[in-house]
Amino acid sequence: MEQDEQSTGTSPDSISFGDMLPSATVVGLIFSIITFAIGLAVGYYEISSEATGAMLSPSMLSGTVICLISLLGGVLAVWHFVKEVNPYIKLGQGAALGFLTGAVMVILSAVYSEVWNFIDPDYTEQLVEATIANVEAMDLPDAQKDAMIDSMASSVRQGQSFVSQILWGIPVSGILNLLSGMVGVKIFAKKENQESF
Amino acid sequence: MKRLSNPFLYLFVLACVSFVLLVSFGEVLWSTTGSVAERHWTEKMFFGICHQLPDRTYSVDGALMAVNTRCFGIFLGILAGWVLLPFMGKYTVDRHWPVILLLLAVTLQVVDYLGNLAELWHNTNHSRALLGVLFGVALSVSVSDLFVKRKPNL
Repeated sequence: MEQDEQSTGTSPDSISFGDMLPSATVVGLIFSIITFAIGLAVGYYEISSEATGAMLSPSMLSGTVICLISLLGGVLAVWHFVKEVNPYIKLGQGAALGFLTGAVMVILSAVYSEVWNFIDPDYTEQLVEATIANVEAMDLPDAQKDAMIDSMASSVRQGQSFVSQILWGIPVSGILNLLSGMVGVKIFAKKENQESF
Repeated sequence: MKRLSNPFLYLFVLACVSFVLLVSFGEVLWSTTGSVAERHWTEKMFFGICHQLPDRTYSVDGALMAVNTRCFGIFLGILAGWVLLPFMGKYTVDRHWPVILLLLAVTLQVVDYLGNLAELWHNTNHSRALLGVLFGVALSVSVSDLFVKRKPNL
């Protein structure tokens, strides 16, 4: 049976970059849409809300949720690959697939941001203003408020920069999804053929 | 290295995880040269995955790390677990406890996050970092058996 599978192209040695791309793209597409939609929804909620001065603003809280969702990308990409392409994926291949998925998520999220800048050019500035208003309502010393405003405002603006998101985002997102890709191999891959890299 | 099935992958991931941990130290380890309004390059690297709230981030003499305490704990734990990985094989092969530990660590993260959000309790920087370390170690240990060199079935 295994010989049949190997001869019909399910050997892990036959897995190429091209084989991984569909799984990375599908999972990256779904997860980037989910995380971007959450970020956008929370952003508009913050823009339309009164500044409360709460330290944990909705957008900051959504960052934690988005982070956890993003980390699942590598696991689910391996699951998709095992189900649709080849159940005998090796550990190193799972790691590569995880990294690729993280990179795809970062690139697609940056593309969505650019597209949204065309749809609603005022979004970024409105979010910056809402963020500043929230910090100004906080019960903090002025110097600390100024530092937080500088930090948060530049954070929101640079978060919208296409090149910045891709250049700075891919390494860390890729490495973390590389790790979760290996967890995916542990959970979903068939256990044969794990001897070599 | 002889006891590992994938020494190259092990060393590559070790280098990657060390890189992430070193970058996460932010201004504490890497000098600031840009303007105040410009975010530090290390903070840009973690922008998409960490909220980077100043009051939830460790600082040394006013210099902030690039990630919050929970993320720092996770990265520290991943590296610690990864360093221990070559010695974990005999304790993890064909055992279920590493996966159970990982699920427990993830559950603790979610429970701690929600409990704090609902104001059932207030977590601290240290408690968040400790839970992060637990999750990071569990993540590394969960894949440790995949690096064990197995004898071929005859």
